[in-house]
Amino acid sequence: MTIVTGKAEARRRLQSGKPGVLRKIWEHRADYTYVLPAIAVMLIVIAYPIYYTIELSFFKTPPGLQLRDKTFIGIDNYTAILTSEVFWRVTWNTLIWTLGSTLIAFVLGFATALALHREFVGRGVLRAILIIPWVISAVAASYIWKWIYHSDFGIIGAVLVGLGLADRPPNFIDSVSTVLPSLIVVNIWREFPFAMIMMMAGLQTVPEQLLRAAQVDGASAWQRFWHVTFPHLRNVSTVTILLLAVANFNSFIIPWIMTGGGPSNASHIWITHIYELAFGRQRWGVASAYSVLLFLTLMTLGYFYVRALSGNERQEGSA
Amino acid sequence: MTRITLGSAVLRGTVATALMASLMSTSALGAPPVDLSKWSPEYVRSIAGTQDFDTAADCAKVTPLDYKGRLTFWYQGVFEGDPDLLRQYYKDFFETFRKTYPNIQLEEQALTYNDLLDKFRTALLGNAAPMAVRLQILGGTEFASKGYLQPLKPEDVGYSTEDFWPGAMKAVTWEGVTYGIPTNNETMAFIWNADIFKRAGLDPDKAPATWDDVVKYSKQIHDKLGIAGYGLVARKNAGNTPYRFMPQLWAYGGGVFDEATANPTYEQVNLDSPQSKAALQASYDMYVRDKSVPVSALTNQQADNQPLFLAGQLGMMISHPSDYDVMLDLQKKATGADKDKAQTVIDNMRYGLIPTGPDGKRAVVFGGSNIHILKPEYVEGGKVDEPAAKAIICMWTSPEWSLKMAYAGSNPGNLNGFKTKWMKERLDNIKFLDVTTSMLPYGIPFPALPQAPEIMNIIVPDMLQNALTGAMTVDEAADDAAKKVRDLMGGL
Repeated sequence: MTIVTGKAEARRRLQSGKPGVLRKIWEHRADYTYVLPAIAVMLIVIAYPIYYTIELSFFKTPPGLQLRDKTFIGIDNYTAILTSEVFWRVTWNTLIWTLGSTLIAFVLGFATALALHREFVGRGVLRAILIIPWVISAVAASYIWKWIYHSDFGIIGAVLVGLGLADRPPNFIDSVSTVLPSLIVVNIWREFPFAMIMMMAGLQTVPEQLLRAAQVDGASAWQRFWHVTFPHLRNVSTVTILLLAVANFNSFIIPWIMTGGGPSNASHIWITHIYELAFGRQRWGVASAYSVLLFLTLMTLGYFYVRALSGNERQEGSA
Repeated sequence: MTRITLGSAVLRGTVATALMASLMSTSALGAPPVDLSKWSPEYVRSIAGTQDFDTAADCAKVTPLDYKGRLTFWYQGVFEGDPDLLRQYYKDFFETFRKTYPNIQLEEQALTYNDLLDKFRTALLGNAAPMAVRLQILGGTEFASKGYLQPLKPEDVGYSTEDFWPGAMKAVTWEGVTYGIPTNNETMAFIWNADIFKRAGLDPDKAPATWDDVVKYSKQIHDKLGIAGYGLVARKNAGNTPYRFMPQLWAYGGGVFDEATANPTYEQVNLDSPQSKAALQASYDMYVRDKSVPVSALTNQQADNQPLFLAGQLGMMISHPSDYDVMLDLQKKATGADKDKAQTVIDNMRYGLIPTGPDGKRAVVFGGSNIHILKPEYVEGGKVDEPAAKAIICMWTSPEWSLKMAYAGSNPGNLNGFKTKWMKERLDNIKFLDVTTSMLPYGIPFPALPQAPEIMNIIVPDMLQNALTGAMTVDEAADDAAKKVRDLMGGL
């Protein structure tokens, strides 16, 4: 009589069975063991807060009461948000902020990367200088720009008045019409080096022999860029744009420090509005519902990001 | 250097008397250490230096000096707009506490006025609050009403309720129970640059008598000299804004509720009253119509007005007496011609009473801070070392330290502080102190409501910004703010 242990039986079943999920897991058991601590930490510091935020979004949390005195109100917080005028205004601001910052920072970064891809004297120094905005602390940069923009004695205003180009300093961040574009400029200044670095890395992967061959075939500079360089950069461009978009959706420091969402809510984006609702006005329920909406938006962007990455891997695998 | 008749200032007007009565009214009227009915700069001078106090001996009766324990403590500390002198006193306080109580392990954390409430609220949600906290006057009722604070009265740390300003005690009382002790109480004053006044064709030694005069003077200064007249502040979520706008609102006869009356009920919202709209209109006239105030008022706070004033680019502002020391500190850091220019401004700095409204009503915010002990369930580790907390509270609210910690910019919460030798020294050293102490009887506390921080830090500044940016008309902005207050009070 043969005695079969449970472990041996399991191994036998796995070996004899079809290559299913369980078998794959078993084959990668060492990998799972290595990532287990990280997953455990993530469950505590990410999964639970997400769960709690979702739960809280279905409760009313009056500012005069403690959080434990919350009352269940179903989807009322979501209804209140989606029917509020402020939400749509803040959403519009968020879209302008995210799209404006992302696209311009990407285009500027790409253009700079193309320029720096060529050999010329001082290229290394220039590259180092251009990275400075990205490595400066966002908090410090916000304060510096606040002073540069200052409506009474900012540097830009002083130069314009000094050169006789303006009677009084321009109003950058104390006006509802100029505040958001002014903040976007700061954000682009800070982010374009990131796009530049990503695209420079991408440019290294463009096969030189293809470019030379195209040149030999009489392709113009634009044709070489459009038909050879750009197709090779499509995936890295997608990833860069998605990363920038996610960062901008979540961008808090610059608008909060420079204007606090003002004046008159003109520079409030989702994340600053959520912060004010939660920590300034203690509407934890509404702020949580807002956060869930933000989370879903970011997850959607994250999905496309992962897809773009997978595309990269597939492409590399087939190459 | 001040040019006002200080002696008579305090007794002016029936409104001031009513406000005085309001500040004095308390359920526990006993025998205060100073006679508030005689309050005047002369009286303050007469009592200064008349009594000695031994802080360590007094606090030893509350918590033995050899007590061994651990205390976590957050406080609203000094920030960029405070003078170096105050920084030194804060440093001295913690050094002295550690020497006096060498076995108490103190873990203190300083936070700025604008950050403290947000951080404290967040910590409370995670049951990670400190054992004791010193909050701005607005905060006491909010946290007491939610049940986060332990009952704490002056008697618990060796003092008497009558030792403190009655108006300040109201700010730490919720539903008849006292939840904290005032550390300092203050009123601000009106500051102007006499040289700018002179060059603008105004009487250099006379402050504007009314808020309408402020609007007029501001325009005149701007039109003649091309600089900002009045230092308007309208930043959101910054304590500076309500401290500067509320005196204007009250002077015009307006208010958020009826907080400017002797016995407020806070039942009727008055932000949309004609008087409140008139006050908002005055700000609108200065910012939009006359363009006579800093354009940066919407993103600025008082710390931004200080360098403008020192640079001779601002004619008038509302602030503490400590601004004189701040100017001296800033002047020391200036170089070359800027140093002389700054000295000229300092020499021409004048302090006066805050202007009145059209009906002669004068008002100022009765500000300050309170100190509290948290309930154990909201504290990190679930334990509160009460003797250690009481030791630091006894020390901070003592006549000696409640005065020293308010040396340049405020007044001691403990009225006995006015009797100390340091008060005498302070009267000689701190310029313009008389003016701000003269404003004390005109002080109106913020509404003692849990909703007050949101009203003062968000709704009122929003109202100003909506009107000043043109996002709404003055009427619409006032109506919108009144609606927000009503919704808030209705639990929305």
